[in-house]
Amino acid sequence: MMALERWLIELLLHFAARDEINVFLRSPQNTATIIGCLIAVSGALLGTFLLLRGMALTSDAISHTVLLGIVVAFLLMTDVFGMVGDTSSPWLILGASLAGVGTVVLTELLYRSGLLRQDAALGLAFPLLFAIAVILVSRFAEDVHLDEDAVLVGEIGLAWANTNSHCFDNCATVTISPDHPQAKMARQCRNCRELGISPRDEGAEFVEICSNCGSYSPAQAWQAGYLQKEPSLVFFPKSITVTLIMTALSLLLALVFYKELKLTTFDPALAKALGFRPGVMNYALMILVSLVAVGAFDAVGSILVIAFFIIPPAAAYLLSDRLAVMLLLGPLIGAAGAFFGYDLARGKFFGFIEVGDIIAGLNSLFGLDLPEQWDSSISASMVLMIFIIFTLVWVLSPRYGLISTLIRRANQRRRFDDQVVLAHIHNHQFTDRHATELRVKTLHLHFRWTGRKMGRVLARLRALGLVAVVNGLAQLTARGETQVHAFRGAMLEAHNMPDID
Amino acid sequence: MPAEDKRVWLTIAGIVVLGICFLPLGQWLFGIRYTYTVRVVALGGAILGVISGALGCFAVLRRESLMGDALSHAALPGVAVAFLLAGRDLGFLLIGAGIASWIALRFIAALLGTTRLKQDAAMGIVLASWFAGGIALLAYIQSIPDASQAGLDRFIFGQAAAIIESDVLLISGAGAVVLLALALFWKEFKLVTFDGEFAIANGFQVGLINTLLSTLIVIAIVLGLQLAGVILMVGMLIAPGIAARQWTQKLHHTVILAAVFGAFAGGVGAVISAIDADIPTGPMIIVVAFSLVLASIALAPGRGLLWSSWRRRLDSRRFARQNALRDLYRYALSHGSPGRPAPDAFIRGIGDRSAALGLRQLLASGLVETTGDSWRLTDTGIEAARRDAHSLQLWDLYRLYADDMGLPLLAEDRQLDIRDVLPADAIGQLEAMMEQRPN
Repeated sequence: MMALERWLIELLLHFAARDEINVFLRSPQNTATIIGCLIAVSGALLGTFLLLRGMALTSDAISHTVLLGIVVAFLLMTDVFGMVGDTSSPWLILGASLAGVGTVVLTELLYRSGLLRQDAALGLAFPLLFAIAVILVSRFAEDVHLDEDAVLVGEIGLAWANTNSHCFDNCATVTISPDHPQAKMARQCRNCRELGISPRDEGAEFVEICSNCGSYSPAQAWQAGYLQKEPSLVFFPKSITVTLIMTALSLLLALVFYKELKLTTFDPALAKALGFRPGVMNYALMILVSLVAVGAFDAVGSILVIAFFIIPPAAAYLLSDRLAVMLLLGPLIGAAGAFFGYDLARGKFFGFIEVGDIIAGLNSLFGLDLPEQWDSSISASMVLMIFIIFTLVWVLSPRYGLISTLIRRANQRRRFDDQVVLAHIHNHQFTDRHATELRVKTLHLHFRWTGRKMGRVLARLRALGLVAVVNGLAQLTARGETQVHAFRGAMLEAHNMPDID
Repeated sequence: MPAEDKRVWLTIAGIVVLGICFLPLGQWLFGIRYTYTVRVVALGGAILGVISGALGCFAVLRRESLMGDALSHAALPGVAVAFLLAGRDLGFLLIGAGIASWIALRFIAALLGTTRLKQDAAMGIVLASWFAGGIALLAYIQSIPDASQAGLDRFIFGQAAAIIESDVLLISGAGAVVLLALALFWKEFKLVTFDGEFAIANGFQVGLINTLLSTLIVIAIVLGLQLAGVILMVGMLIAPGIAARQWTQKLHHTVILAAVFGAFAGGVGAVISAIDADIPTGPMIIVVAFSLVLASIALAPGRGLLWSSWRRRLDSRRFARQNALRDLYRYALSHGSPGRPAPDAFIRGIGDRSAALGLRQLLASGLVETTGDSWRLTDTGIEAARRDAHSLQLWDLYRLYADDMGLPLLAEDRQLDIRDVLPADAIGQLEAMMEQRPN
């Protein structure tokens, strides 16, 4: 991981000076936005396949168990192996993603017992695993970094502060030994506690210990003032590296196995018959979903991450029928949400509306007394922004959007009404009942419609020149006649029936 | 009372007794002290368990378990908004939660009605977005200097210790109304749960009934929030229903049993978490509820894993015995007389274990005797084999003529003696028919 970071920084150094990089990365906004975008891209890539496979909520199950995996691995690391607990340690990531895949297997087993349905198995498995994780956190891990708040929302706003330092020039590591001129020596009583005496009492024995001995990395040495020349350092946030690796892996999966994923998603039976192994692809997907969920845990917590998996692909699904386009649109939508989401957390809505103004408006409208300073959770705001974009897409999408769907349905309803009335007139004109069946005043009764609806339909048909009213009776015009015949012909052809007329 | 009904009532009584016994047992084993707080929390937990268990059954049966998850996450922004508007009064907070969940419910319905998104995606979208809204609002509330948000956090993970007596009264009142509504619309709910199309065809207002049922489920979720929290509430809602479903096939039994399971999980979970201040109540309740599910899956008569593996074992023993008897009889008849011995190698066939199993049983009940390398039916054995063969012949006739003769229709099961499953007069008719036929 360090090597990768170093390589990345060297790449960046071609484009920008060292100080510029440090200033850029030290801004909470830049780091949070980068991490948010990376999570959004990897989540949307994998989420597209989950959505199309009807497994959207599997990401929910996985993200919940990942918490249990992290907690167990964390406790094992700190309490059993005595290591320093760090939620971006590779061991922890590995253990937690195994736990994630384990849930999928567990749910499958519960479901295969035949005693409960799939939704029930999922709905049972993840609250349980989450409950165990919460019990463990509050029982054993009270004083560590894993608190309940971090579990919920992550700490994307603080990600800039958790860095690895990389040194590029004047890189002196300093080792302070007891005979070093800068070593700080102190006398400490060796047996005071044992004997219960004070250092001043007789019989106290002393040892010399060095309070600042040890080896210092260049960054630490500079900070402690052991170096004359400032080393040229770059501080790189750890979370960016982790999420970058996850994104690269997701991209790799989506690009290299595009064909396989597509086939096993849309036609698993065919894939099996052709010798692809749908099960293998499925587990590869699950492993990556777990990895991304673990990688995102630090930044956005274990619940909000499912938004990055589900919402952007759902929005892309309302815009396009093509998998490749969806794979492009989903990450874009997610990244846009992450980008504008940071501003939302700081009170700016797409840059032109201030949330504070809205609150002020509400205050004056309802006589409330809410502070106008809006300063909120960054990860939650990113999710809200993604949701807002989704809602916009849903309302406005040209083919599958709300407006176009409503218009299409209204058109269909109108066309249906028109055809029914035309057919009724066609069936009854020139019969001996036409005087009762076609009287305009009573026509609506034959359809059990209201008179107003009938009036609307008739007015439309007359305006189109399909129907004429003669002596209070409705009649088809010549154009109406051709219309009915064309429609009948199309219907009969569609149902493959001979014309009996 | 039929055997199954009796069993269900026995189970219910057993759980109630177990729950009551747990109180002194917990005191004795773990040194739990039943302070006023513990008593209030346990009572609240038990009452919430009854409500969510009873309504959760419907969520489970309608295959909407995960809807419970989405709706409970969706309650969070409502709590926050209610807090901003009306302060800390629990009644207002719950009303806010209910409104937010209900809007989420309608939003999911709108997504499903107007797009091609599937239910799981729609629920995931709403779950994550509403939850994010709630978190964002909570963060905003936290930044308000004088209005400490203490007390709202409890809606996320649940905090039973914060329940006080007036809360229990509120929960009981609202719960009584919900259960009353359930009783009043019992027939309608049952119908739309099991056969919605039939309900539509018979002129029921299915949309209205569904909305009412979902609203009741929302109320149950909202009432349980402060105990289990928005994340775990789904477990509280569906686990009792899933456990109860294993024990019975009847809706009213399932609902009553789920209510009892829910009360057990709520009460016992609350009491266990009183052992140590660090054990959170909500998650403990979920763990107890899940243990009930595991126990039910393993033990429930009829469906449970232990039960069905035991029944499979019995069946395979019975089939082995029957097949060995039939093989011996057929071999003997085709070689002259029923008493002829059959060689051991022939009867054991290709060495599958079931022949040995069957022969051992026949030997033990004295139907066969062996000389070591051959097997012979004894007189009682021949008698039993004849009865069996007779039954098979009757089954043949039944298959051909049951319809013509107007006999009661059964699934054909040749492992059973037909005389045990058909009434005596039907057997008489079949035997008369056999007499007439010249073989």
